Amino acid sequence: MSLANQAHLHLLLNHFPTIGTIIALGLYLVAILANHEYLKRACLGIFLIIALLSLPVYMSGKAAQEAIEGQPGITGGLIERHQDAALLAFVFMEITGAFAWLGLWQFRRVLRLARWNVLTVFVLSIVTFGLMARAANMGGEIRHPEIQATAATEGATVPDTEWLQTASIASFVNTRAWAWPATETLHFMGLCLLLGVVLIVNLRMLGVMKNVSFSAVHRLLPWGILGFGINLTTGWLFFITVPEQYTQNIALHWKMALVMVAGVNALYLTVFDEPWALGPGDDAPLTAKVIAASAIFLWLGVIYFGRMMPFIGGSF
Amino acid sequence: MSIGQIFVQPPIFGFPQTLHSGILAPLLPIFLMMDFLRQLEESGFATWVRESNSLLAYPSVLFLHTVGMGFVAGISALIDLRILGCASDVPLGDMRKFLPYMWAGFWLNAATGIVLFILDATTKAISPVFYTKMAFIAMAVVVAFLIRNHVFRDPLVDKRPIERYGKILAFASIVCWMGAITAGRLLAYVGPGVVSAGGR
Repeated sequence: MSLANQAHLHLLLNHFPTIGTIIALGLYLVAILANHEYLKRACLGIFLIIALLSLPVYMSGKAAQEAIEGQPGITGGLIERHQDAALLAFVFMEITGAFAWLGLWQFRRVLRLARWNVLTVFVLSIVTFGLMARAANMGGEIRHPEIQATAATEGATVPDTEWLQTASIASFVNTRAWAWPATETLHFMGLCLLLGVVLIVNLRMLGVMKNVSFSAVHRLLPWGILGFGINLTTGWLFFITVPEQYTQNIALHWKMALVMVAGVNALYLTVFDEPWALGPGDDAPLTAKVIAASAIFLWLGVIYFGRMMPFIGGSF
Repeated sequence: MSIGQIFVQPPIFGFPQTLHSGILAPLLPIFLMMDFLRQLEESGFATWVRESNSLLAYPSVLFLHTVGMGFVAGISALIDLRILGCASDVPLGDMRKFLPYMWAGFWLNAATGIVLFILDATTKAISPVFYTKMAFIAMAVVVAFLIRNHVFRDPLVDKRPIERYGKILAFASIVCWMGAITAGRLLAYVGPGVVSAGGR
């Protein structure tokens, strides 16, 4: 995808993490006050999907920066400030998503949401919304001088006082010989953990180890999420460290698209009644088998496009 | 090419024939081995895999090697975690059904690994990192057999808690595969044949 298209994508998608989060947060508050379990779970699902959508929002933001940097009226400092604020908001968004997933997973097991989880997600989503709104506001200032709070004129430097500085993370990885290989090694280990869970859980649906109930293999899912978390973190370190080889990498765009579809697919295994009802010896219905087979192929596709990034996309 | 043919061919490295009887004679097997590896490296197949721009060449071999890694190390890790006590609702007697998938990954990687080896056989053959990786894999395979004999073949496996020995084996298996993955990655960064920034 070209830089200009990604800039458009950024403008389109960047409203989900802010507007989406505040709407979900409002619904969540109503659900908590009314003690409506079903609505609470729906909100957790929405938080999870927004967390997934935040991946392309962050990535396309970097491409948008490359597309408009150096144009008249664009202040580099404002972009960098927006980027650091967005990174912090992104980190909180993903943590919120992880806790939302954990709540849904636990609900499936005990048929009620844990109070601690409901409150944790509530607090995290408020913090996330605040950070997202702040990042969004800074992003708006890049193109709209009329709303600029600081009298930043062209070329003026904006003091960077963020906790999480993209540039310092990148220079940390770049200046240490061990950092990049260590990150890659962790990325491979996370891959093994994730693929191991994907294979075992989905092959059960396809009939291997049919004597085992789905509720037993459901216990393995958090290990897959741990693998995904390791790979999201290490993958993000790669992206932050050398974004220029990824922003226009078509293999990475395909990989991220597949990650999002596979993520929604994983929601099926976590919450739906159909797989959960499979007892020892039960054969899964056809739809469940189709979803299970597609999950395996989606993750193999993720690995394929990840591996092809140096060959199709031209990264190292 | 037969082993006999290797012996009659002139050494590619150009060592004098006196090598057969001189002071360096004890090293002859090493020179012959390096010659053999050089011939593998220069074979048409290795050259095609290494230098072709086709996605079916080197990229596909790497992809299959990665998938095989996910199968063998991933399923092995899940079995090990189960032995260590995670997801104890899943009977180990049933988890055994995944062993063929684990071994399928192993053989896929043995095959693709041989291809990756012959692409730069003479370099890999003198790389300590490569032998470290092979040692970890050999240990992982030995541990996998021990787990099969002491855990999966135990008729009472799901009727009593796993013995301490079984848990030590499971832990060792995780360590071996992590070691193999780490050494494999370091092949691109440490040792002979690495060009400046390695895999980057």
